[in-house]
Amino acid sequence: MKWYENTDGRNDVFAAGRVRLARNLKSCPFPNRMSPEEIKNLNGLLKSRLSDLGEADGTAYRYYAVNELPDKERKALWERRVINETLAGRKTSTGLYLSDDESMSLSFGGDDHIRIQCMSTDVNLDQLWNECRRMDDRVNSRFPYAFHEKYGYLTAFPTNMGTGLRVSVILHLPFLSMGKQFRKLITEVGRFGIRVKGMFGEGPENYGNLYEISNQKTLGQTEEEIISLVYRMASHLAANERKVRSLALRENRVVLTDEAYKSYGVLKYARQMSLKEAMTFLSQIRVGLCEGLLQTKEPLNVFGCMLERQPASLMVRRLGEISPEELNILRAETIRDSLPELVC
Amino acid sequence: MLCERCGVREANIRYIEVVNGVKTEHHLCSECAREMDFSEYSAVFDGDDPIGKLLSGILGVQLAVHPKKEEEWDRIRCPVCHTSYSEFVENSRFGCAQCYEVFDLLMQENVKKLQGSDMHTGKRPKFGRPEARASEGAVEKAELTREEELKILQSKLRDAVSEEEFEEAAKYRDAIRTLKERMGAGS
Repeated sequence: MKWYENTDGRNDVFAAGRVRLARNLKSCPFPNRMSPEEIKNLNGLLKSRLSDLGEADGTAYRYYAVNELPDKERKALWERRVINETLAGRKTSTGLYLSDDESMSLSFGGDDHIRIQCMSTDVNLDQLWNECRRMDDRVNSRFPYAFHEKYGYLTAFPTNMGTGLRVSVILHLPFLSMGKQFRKLITEVGRFGIRVKGMFGEGPENYGNLYEISNQKTLGQTEEEIISLVYRMASHLAANERKVRSLALRENRVVLTDEAYKSYGVLKYARQMSLKEAMTFLSQIRVGLCEGLLQTKEPLNVFGCMLERQPASLMVRRLGEISPEELNILRAETIRDSLPELVC
Repeated sequence: MLCERCGVREANIRYIEVVNGVKTEHHLCSECAREMDFSEYSAVFDGDDPIGKLLSGILGVQLAVHPKKEEEWDRIRCPVCHTSYSEFVENSRFGCAQCYEVFDLLMQENVKKLQGSDMHTGKRPKFGRPEARASEGAVEKAELTREEELKILQSKLRDAVSEEEFEEAAKYRDAIRTLKERMGAGS
């Protein structure tokens, strides 16, 4: 099972957590100053010397030469946040070690030599950090890192120097993001060096109401301090979402229940589904399940369902090209099949 | 609030312009902001990650204010990867680890503006440092202030405690105490 398919959660405001480390090797220029041949050789070396990565904890890893994958597969990896946009678009050699459940990944040849990433729907950031730290030490035991007493771990972008750590929490904020106070809250958390960004785009184009809350600063704070800050700020936003939500539920419970059931009905029976429609209805179902407005016989992870209905993630299910109309038909079909029955 | 230029996307950038003492406020989305001319600040809006370009925005202002410096800064080059300071400012990217040493004095104030600090206090590499310490230690020590030295020792102490290396931790604890006493006597 993939990490985003985990159905243990209750479709809460907290959707997922992510911890990422940027690292560079000591005696090697950063990728932007390496020739394509040098990058290829380095990635080959990283691949071979880290081939026994999973032996320490029994995890199975698979290697992908990302730049050699078809376009849609690279985009699908980016949609699921396994790799970033830079790595997905890079023509020179790029590599990826990915665990079977896709929760742990090591990518090579992007902005930095190595990026270590761990993701989970259980937003336990300390645990994610511990896993990343262990992997970091394992890689470091084979490759000395570029490190500076004053500037810490050295990275290509000054926005990553120091800890090289980016901690993100993905929140589902359908009620809070509609209100006027949302902008104020974003400014408020921004003063603490926290960035709030739509997961799938800016403003009204961020279908599904998922927001990524992450640290902007990477230098001068310990990893534990950064993790604690991101978690506190995410909790602050989540508490505000719950407050607005409970007020709306108190005043409009029938309307919201109706919306959740109608969304379920459309998703269960529609024959064509645009991305916007799918994300909007899934967002309403997530609220319905979280607040007990409707119940399904089997557990449903709405976040995973949203990730798997993004365009490229759908395209990889079919061989060859697929038209926008066919894509909408496929989206409707796969949602219909994955929606469990309702408890009436 | 919607972007005042396209009227479609949500405005996420507030731009305040002061011309001859008259203040005007604009609300734009990042796409429209990217297309507009904000002179030296335009770099901030390039690419997908405006934050990633923040440093070149800050540094770019210095270049615009001191155009002669651009030539001088072009001559400051990293001996390893040949990235010039101007290139670093333009792309907001280091070319290699040595760039940090070469550009250190020029960038440290801007790093403070960007990061709110210029001193790493987090995790340190477990492997591959002892040789480096032996060769670089003397030089680095001479350049570090006592406050910086203290932060490094505190970070080493934290690492040692988390790794349960208590003998090492005791050594760092004593070194911190001695340094603090020296700092107290100095002041």
